Amino acid sequence: MAKFHYPLLSCLALLLGIAPVALAQQDTTVYHLRTVEIFGKPSEVFASGSRVSTLDSSFIRTYASGTIADALQARTPVFLKTNGASGISTPSFRGTSATHTAVLWNGLNISQPALGQSDLSLLPLSSIGSIAVQHGAAGAMYGSGAIGGAVLLNSPTQQEPGFGADVMQEVGSFGRYFSSAGVRYSSQKLSVALSAYRLAAENDYSFRDYGRIGAPVRRQDQAQVAQHGFTQDLSWQLSSNTRLALHGWYTFADREVAPALGAANTNAEQLDRNLRLMTELNHSSNWGETSVKAAVFNDYLRFTDNNNYSTTDINTYQVQAEQTYTYARRWSLRGGLNLQHFDADVQGYGKQVTEDRASAFLLFRYDPSERLDLSLNLRQAFVKGYNPTPAPTLGANWLMLQQGNHKLYLKGNVSGSYRVPTLNERFWQPGGNPDIKPEQGWSYETGLRHRYTLGSVQLDSELSVYRMLVDNWIQWMPITSSYWSPRNLQKVRSQGIELSSRASTIIGDWQLAATGAYTYTSSEQVKAYEGNQELNQQLAHVPLHKAQLGADLTFRSWTLLGNITHTGLRYTDNSNTGSLPGYTLLSLALHRKFSIGQYQFVTSVRSDNVTDREYTVLENVPMPSRSFAASLRFIIP
Amino acid sequence: MKKITRFRSYLLSAAFAFGALTITSCDKKDNGPAGEYARNGVLVSNEGAMTKSNASMSFYSHDSKTVENESFKKVNAPLLLGDVLQHMVQHGDRLYLVMNNSGKVVVTNAHTLKAEGEIAGLEAPRYFAALNDDKAYVTEWLGYDPATYVYGNGRVAVVDLNTLTVTKTITVGVQPEQLILQGGKLYVANSGGNSVTVINTATDAIETSITVNDGPSSLALDRNNMLWVSSRGIKSYDPTDWSVSEEHSTPGSLAKINTGSNSVAATLTFTRNAPSPDKLTPNQGGDKIYYVFNNKVWVQDVNTTTLATQPLIDRGSYVAYGFNGLGVEPGSGTIYAGKATDYASNGWVVRYNPQSGAAVDSFRVGIAPNGFVFK
Repeated sequence: MAKFHYPLLSCLALLLGIAPVALAQQDTTVYHLRTVEIFGKPSEVFASGSRVSTLDSSFIRTYASGTIADALQARTPVFLKTNGASGISTPSFRGTSATHTAVLWNGLNISQPALGQSDLSLLPLSSIGSIAVQHGAAGAMYGSGAIGGAVLLNSPTQQEPGFGADVMQEVGSFGRYFSSAGVRYSSQKLSVALSAYRLAAENDYSFRDYGRIGAPVRRQDQAQVAQHGFTQDLSWQLSSNTRLALHGWYTFADREVAPALGAANTNAEQLDRNLRLMTELNHSSNWGETSVKAAVFNDYLRFTDNNNYSTTDINTYQVQAEQTYTYARRWSLRGGLNLQHFDADVQGYGKQVTEDRASAFLLFRYDPSERLDLSLNLRQAFVKGYNPTPAPTLGANWLMLQQGNHKLYLKGNVSGSYRVPTLNERFWQPGGNPDIKPEQGWSYETGLRHRYTLGSVQLDSELSVYRMLVDNWIQWMPITSSYWSPRNLQKVRSQGIELSSRASTIIGDWQLAATGAYTYTSSEQVKAYEGNQELNQQLAHVPLHKAQLGADLTFRSWTLLGNITHTGLRYTDNSNTGSLPGYTLLSLALHRKFSIGQYQFVTSVRSDNVTDREYTVLENVPMPSRSFAASLRFIIP
Repeated sequence: MKKITRFRSYLLSAAFAFGALTITSCDKKDNGPAGEYARNGVLVSNEGAMTKSNASMSFYSHDSKTVENESFKKVNAPLLLGDVLQHMVQHGDRLYLVMNNSGKVVVTNAHTLKAEGEIAGLEAPRYFAALNDDKAYVTEWLGYDPATYVYGNGRVAVVDLNTLTVTKTITVGVQPEQLILQGGKLYVANSGGNSVTVINTATDAIETSITVNDGPSSLALDRNNMLWVSSRGIKSYDPTDWSVSEEHSTPGSLAKINTGSNSVAATLTFTRNAPSPDKLTPNQGGDKIYYVFNNKVWVQDVNTTTLATQPLIDRGSYVAYGFNGLGVEPGSGTIYAGKATDYASNGWVVRYNPQSGAAVDSFRVGIAPNGFVFK
């Protein structure tokens, strides 16, 4: 059910100001619902009736100077909690928190096991081939953590044989320099791709310091960022039905962490180093598709400030084997097993911690007719000391009405999910709670999707409503003045509406597209273990409203992109007494493409926060003022 | 535009304050200070959560029997109060707000809460005491060694209240907490050690040091000018659940110091090892001292030579920070307790009858209420 959100693409491009090299206006229809091909397909195939949006590889290539956090923030209803210009950026799907989002890379969960979450600002788009975003629970497909949603990252795959390369340089406000380079070679047997990037940003923007008497204007001097990394993808066709792939992904980030306004600057600095290596063997036979993946991840994090020196060093070993059998495009069955071993050397635990986890899953997709597809999935996890409940999914997608140029789909999905507490939640000292209970969730959603096509006019709209109930929701609270501790909220209910629409057309040399999206998210604790906890109040840092409008206009080799996002008021506490005002941000970008012989150049200028809006995403953390950036990209196709 | 709005709100609050004054003028002397917060009421300091800069102040009015939260913000927005409001003191027409993790003391008008300035450049300031209108003292912990988590000696900053600058620092013991002025001397409890430093306020030089039980943290003066010191003892934490070990800890105690001779007159040691006494708070007459021990409130008659055997206020198994702040209202003697539910939700002020210890009523304030100024 992979569905392309073309608007996503354009807005993303706009925000990050990428060259429209592959903005893919050339064939808009490609970006709409693709025919479902079950053979050798990613797990999204088994997600009938749920909301999955996809960003394609050509788009991501053009978006290259940004991170996955930027992309999701601009293009999806996901709220990104961003801790200042240099800080951690974690996703909040449907009113849940970062730990409720599973992040998978080529099908394996890469969430850092100590924190149980992924900092999306560490994941550069330049390393990724495609991104799919699963909204809502999908525990059966993606395992522990996929309570609010999942981000599915895949390495680039090679289409055209031969050699290709590209180089990009971007210069922007507040001392931002981004460079990237990539080469690829592909033959019938072998394909190799290497890419590397480097980002340096001072982030020395000015802001008003309301933490000081007189509110002087100050320059941010504690948000410097240095990031670099490389990616290596190798795929070898061993025989006509056997393929071996090796993927390597290294990212490094050294970031200063700005203090909140009014809080003492303790020179906080965070260093992240993540190395991910995996190998994948695919074989197809009469028994279907066999896939075996083995991976080693090393996640290193060092946090230092005037009073702290804390390191987290975790090795994760992961094996996943799965077998998919497909019968004549009518049904498909996938069974598999996932094993994980964590080896954690974390200063805060005061001891070495290891853990083994296993899960078995069975995914079934059935298309009884061309107009209906169903899925039924189940996963059971096994973790010592815990007894996770089975996570099932039942979903359906039905082409209810087809009249003239109109198509109306009705979709629905019931899904279970679970999350085993993270290592920090159990072992961190002080504060870790060895008795913390695992989370368990149920999500119900239904929606309508309407498509209209007339010549070059395309209209695609989707409306979803959902309700999610999560038992034992884990929330870190400053229980005392000196440290935080996780505790279980007995039951949290998140419910809401998601609306999105996109219209596009081509008139002569002009290509026009407009998108709009709106989400309403209510996330409240509805049952508490203790009397004094806050009931029926919006959870902190969940905006009730988020909306976006995007437009892109292309005239021959010129493209102008505009995007407006509005994020509504967020409460800063569970009592709903303190709040942060909503903010609306405008971005604009202009691209031009040149060709010299077979080579292509793409130049681009863009501006973020065009209206120079003073805003904060989190309490007392000022965000950057208006910024500009210019980039040049050179492509050897 | 902004200016006009601010001016208007200022006018409005002035009008309200004026209204409040005229209404209450029957009970109060007419020449009292003017200001929204000069009324018959209680200012509450709400600590806030560390690193969030969400400390706040609340004001409870006895006349309207209502509480106003975010009072500082109301008057001074968009200015922030800061991070971790550790201690709030009124001296003269000014209010001094020790912002622990902002490294400063915010100074406001005590009657309007209008921010007037700040004493900057402090490192982990804890408590404040004004000698007169010109000079005050602030204890500072300073930082700890990030490798060993061990604190070195702290210091006392001498502040010129006219310029709001630090004129001198005096190195004292480890983690200096509360400080109190008596008879030309400043007494500083060195909570990371076992001493009370005595500083001569004429010379701002250390005069002597009085040895007490380990971990002296709070101080109170009684009617006889005896200085009461609560010592926590040495606490040992259970490595698995971080609770205080009864077996491996040493008991806390109350010491009574003769401020004439600067010698310990008596030490009253608790029988239990794990809990620590804290928050010594005398009543108006100085014949009783209230304190928190084992998450209960106890009362010590200043002339009694033994510790009380029964608590005055016992809420049974109560929230861990049920007595995050303790205050005794002059006149009525009503006991005010700041109850922190946690550091992410708003807390409560619960009032107790000083005789029976029964809860009278409660009202909701900001995050982690920890102190009171009675108007």
